[in-house]
Amino acid sequence: MGDAGVMEKLRTEITKGEEIRYISHLDYARVIERAIRRANLPVAYSEGFNPHMKISFASALAVGVTSEAEYLDIELNQAVAAAEVQERLSAQLPAGLRLKKAKYVDQKTPALMAVVNLAQYKVIAPAGSDFAMIEKAVAEFNQALEVRYIRESPKGKKEIDVKDYVEQDIAVEQKDGLVILSMTIKITPTGSVKPGEVLKALVENFALNVVEAGALIHRTGLFIANEKVLLSPIDL
Amino acid sequence: MIKLDPAVINRVTKPARYTGNELNSVKKDHASVKVTVALALPDVYEVGMSNLGLKILYQILNDRTDTAAERVYAPWVDMEAEMRAHHIPLHTLETFTPVKDFDMIGFSLQYEMIYSNVLNMLDLAGIPLMTAERDERHPFVIGGGPCAYNAEPVADFFDLLVIGEGEEVIEDVVAVLASWKEDGKPDGRSGFLKRAAKIEGVYVPSFYDVSYQADGTIAAVTPNCSEAKPAIIKRVVKDLNDVKFATKPVVPYLDIVHDRIMLELFRGCTRGCRFCQAGVLYRPVRERTPEKLFDIAEQLVQNTGYNEISLTSLSSADYSHLREIVRGLGERFNDKGVSVSLPSLRIDSFSIELAQEVQQVRKSGLTFAPEAGTQRLRDVINKGVTEQDLEQAVGAAFRQGWSSVKLYFMIGLPTETDEDVLGIADLAYRVLNLYKEIKGRRGAKVTVSVSSFVPKAHTAFQWYGQNSTEEIERKQQLLKSRLRDRSISFNYHDSRTSFLEGVFSRGDRRLGKVLLEAWRGGAKFDGWSEYFKYGVWMEAFEKCGIDPHFYANRERNEAEILPWQHISSGVDKSFLVSEYQQAIQECYTPDCRRSTCSACGVCPGLGVEVLDWGMQA
Repeated sequence: MGDAGVMEKLRTEITKGEEIRYISHLDYARVIERAIRRANLPVAYSEGFNPHMKISFASALAVGVTSEAEYLDIELNQAVAAAEVQERLSAQLPAGLRLKKAKYVDQKTPALMAVVNLAQYKVIAPAGSDFAMIEKAVAEFNQALEVRYIRESPKGKKEIDVKDYVEQDIAVEQKDGLVILSMTIKITPTGSVKPGEVLKALVENFALNVVEAGALIHRTGLFIANEKVLLSPIDL
Repeated sequence: MIKLDPAVINRVTKPARYTGNELNSVKKDHASVKVTVALALPDVYEVGMSNLGLKILYQILNDRTDTAAERVYAPWVDMEAEMRAHHIPLHTLETFTPVKDFDMIGFSLQYEMIYSNVLNMLDLAGIPLMTAERDERHPFVIGGGPCAYNAEPVADFFDLLVIGEGEEVIEDVVAVLASWKEDGKPDGRSGFLKRAAKIEGVYVPSFYDVSYQADGTIAAVTPNCSEAKPAIIKRVVKDLNDVKFATKPVVPYLDIVHDRIMLELFRGCTRGCRFCQAGVLYRPVRERTPEKLFDIAEQLVQNTGYNEISLTSLSSADYSHLREIVRGLGERFNDKGVSVSLPSLRIDSFSIELAQEVQQVRKSGLTFAPEAGTQRLRDVINKGVTEQDLEQAVGAAFRQGWSSVKLYFMIGLPTETDEDVLGIADLAYRVLNLYKEIKGRRGAKVTVSVSSFVPKAHTAFQWYGQNSTEEIERKQQLLKSRLRDRSISFNYHDSRTSFLEGVFSRGDRRLGKVLLEAWRGGAKFDGWSEYFKYGVWMEAFEKCGIDPHFYANRERNEAEILPWQHISSGVDKSFLVSEYQQAIQECYTPDCRRSTCSACGVCPGLGVEVLDWGMQA
C-alpha cells in the first residue's frame, strides 16, 4: 500500500455499453476497481485504516444510460507504459466496457469532476405520432424562453428551468420508427439536468408524442468547453 | 431467447438483477451440450447470488463439456408483474432461455419460508407445479440444500431431491440424465427417475407411499418400486482438498448480500449445540489444508478482483490453523487492498485478538451468540459457553477499543422458564456495566437480538413441542419490559413467521396442498416481512382441514414415525434421543473433535473421518 513518492496520473477513455446499461454509477465504479485489481496494476491507495484506490471519475452516469465517453483517472505508484496498461486493463474489463484510450497527464492536472462542464446525448424513443408533430414539439421547446420542470427526489420537490441547462437547440431526426433527439447539456457547479428529465419535459410540456418508457439514452461526449473550444478530457 | 423490452426493464427497481452479463458467467450453445441445467434459488437476486453452494455447482457443471448450467432467481414483485403482464416466461440470466426449455431445474432449498417462491417460479416458468402433471416436454424439478432433509411438505412438487453435499452427486445425476437421453428416453420420466434413484443420496418422493394412523401420525413410509431404497443416506465429500471449489464465481454488478470472496475453511461443526440442524447435517468436520486455502484464495482474488475475503464455515474460529490463515492472507493480499474478515467469533479472548488483527481500527462492532440467558439453559442446549467466557471476551474487546456489542439469543428453548428469559436482560446489563468498570464511564452500546427457537428435523430437539405464538409474544414483552435502558436496543422476530417455519420444518406430505392453497391466495416472499401474509396461510390451513399446531406445537413421542425418518443424516437416532435426555438433565456433551467421541454414528456410518490439521501437527 503506499506512498512510493512517485505518483503518476493516467487518464483513460472508456465506453459503457449495452451489456451493462442498467448498472448504477456506484456499481460501475466497483467494476472498474475490481478490473484494476485483476490487472495487477501498481495503483496507489489512500493512507489510513480503510484504504481505497486512488481513482476518480468525470461525471456519474444514470442507470439505463450507455456512453462512449467515460473518463477515469488512475493514480499509479510507478509508471507502466500507457500501452501496457491499456492491454492489461482491457483484458480484465467485462462485456460492455472498452478502454479506448489511455495516456499520462500531468500530476497537477485538475480533477475531471472539476473541469468537465458539458455533456452530449442521444435520446432514442419509439415514435408515437407522425414525424411532423414530433418536429413541431421539439421546435416549440427550442423556442421557449423557459421550461419549468418539477424534480421529485427523496428530499422533496424542486422546480427547475430546464432551459438553464440546455446549451443549444435540440436536434431531432427519425429512423425506422424511432425518434432520435440530440442534446447538449451543461454541467454547472450548482447542478445540471438529466437527459431523461429533458425528455419528460418535452413530453409533459410540449406534448412530444414518443413512448417515453421505451426511451434509450446514450452519452456521446463529455467536454471541457469555454467560449472558443470544445475539448475532450483526453485531448486536453 | 427472451428479449427484454427497454419499456419493461426501465420500469423495475434494480434492473441489473435481470440483465446478466456478469464477469465469469458462462454462456454455452445449448446445441453443443447433452444436458442443460437451470440452477435456481427461490429468492431475489441479491440473496440468490450470495449462496456458496450454487456457486460451487455452477462451476462443477460448467466445467463439464457436456453440460450447460445457468442461473435463475425469483423476480422481485415489480418484475413479476411486468412478466405476467407481457407474458414473459421465467428465463435464465446467461442465455435468456426459458426455464421450461431446460432438461432440469435445480432449486437450492435453504429455508422453509421460500417454498411459496418455488411454486411461484415454476408457475412463471410455465412448468406444471405437481410432478404428476409433468410429461416428457417438461424439465425435471430437483432440489437440494438443508431443507431437502425434510422435503416432505414439498414432495408433491419435486421429481427428485439430493440429500447432502452436492459436489459429487450432481455429476452422477447429470451423467444418468445424459445417458437416459442418449438411449432415447426409455420409459419416459419414470425411466430416468428409476435410474437416478439408484444413485446414493438421491430421493424420489413419488417412489414412496405414506400411510397415516387415525390420530394423524404416520403409520408407514413404504417404497413402491424396487429402485427405491428403504433409507436415503446423505452424500458427503471425504476430502475437501480433492473436490472442486468455486474459484471463478460470477461477480455481480449489484451490491449483493455477501459481496466478497467466501473462503470455506472447513465443513461441519462438532460443538454439538442441540438446537443446531447444520451441526448435524454437515458432520463430520473436514478441514481444508492451509496450503489448499492459500491456493484457492490466490485464484479467487485473481479471478474476481474482490477487496475482501470472508472466512466462512459454521464456526470459522474453530479452524485449527486460523492464525496462520489470517496472517498468511494478510501478507499475500494487504498491498492489493484486500482485507480479511471473520464473520463468526468464538466467545473467548483469542477471538478478540484475531478480530483486532483483521479489523485494525475500523471497529465495526462485535457479535457474540450466547444463545441463552442463563447457564442452566446454555447447558440444556449444549452451548458450552459460560458467563465468565463472555465477560472475558467482551472485556477484552472493550479494552481494545470496541464499544458496541451485539448479542444473539433464542427464546422458546426446551425447559425455558421466565427466569431464563430475564437472564438475557441480566447479561445485557452485565455487559453495559463491564464497560463502565473498564472505561470508567458509560458509552457502550448493546444490541440484543432475539429469535424464536424453531425445532428442526434431525436434531436432538426434533420431538419438542414448539412454544405457541402467544407464549413467545408474552416472553418477548416480558424481556422488553426489563430492557429499558437507552444503551440497549432490542430486536425480536415475528412469532408468526417462526410458527410457520416450525410447521414446515417438521411437516409431512399433507402440507403440500396447504402450500398450494396459500400460493394461490398470494403467498410469496414469506421470508420478507413486508410480503408475509399470515392471514392467507391460516385460511389455507382452514380450507385444507389441516391443523398447523399438530406439526409445530405437539410434543412428539420418540416411538412416533417422523416424516423424515427415511432420510438419513448419518447421525443415529439413538444419539439424538440420548442428547434430548442429556438436555433435560442439563448435562454437557463435549466437542468430539477435541475430547472423546460422543458416538453420533456419522464417521463409521458414512465411512468418513474428522479431518483436523491441528491434531496431526
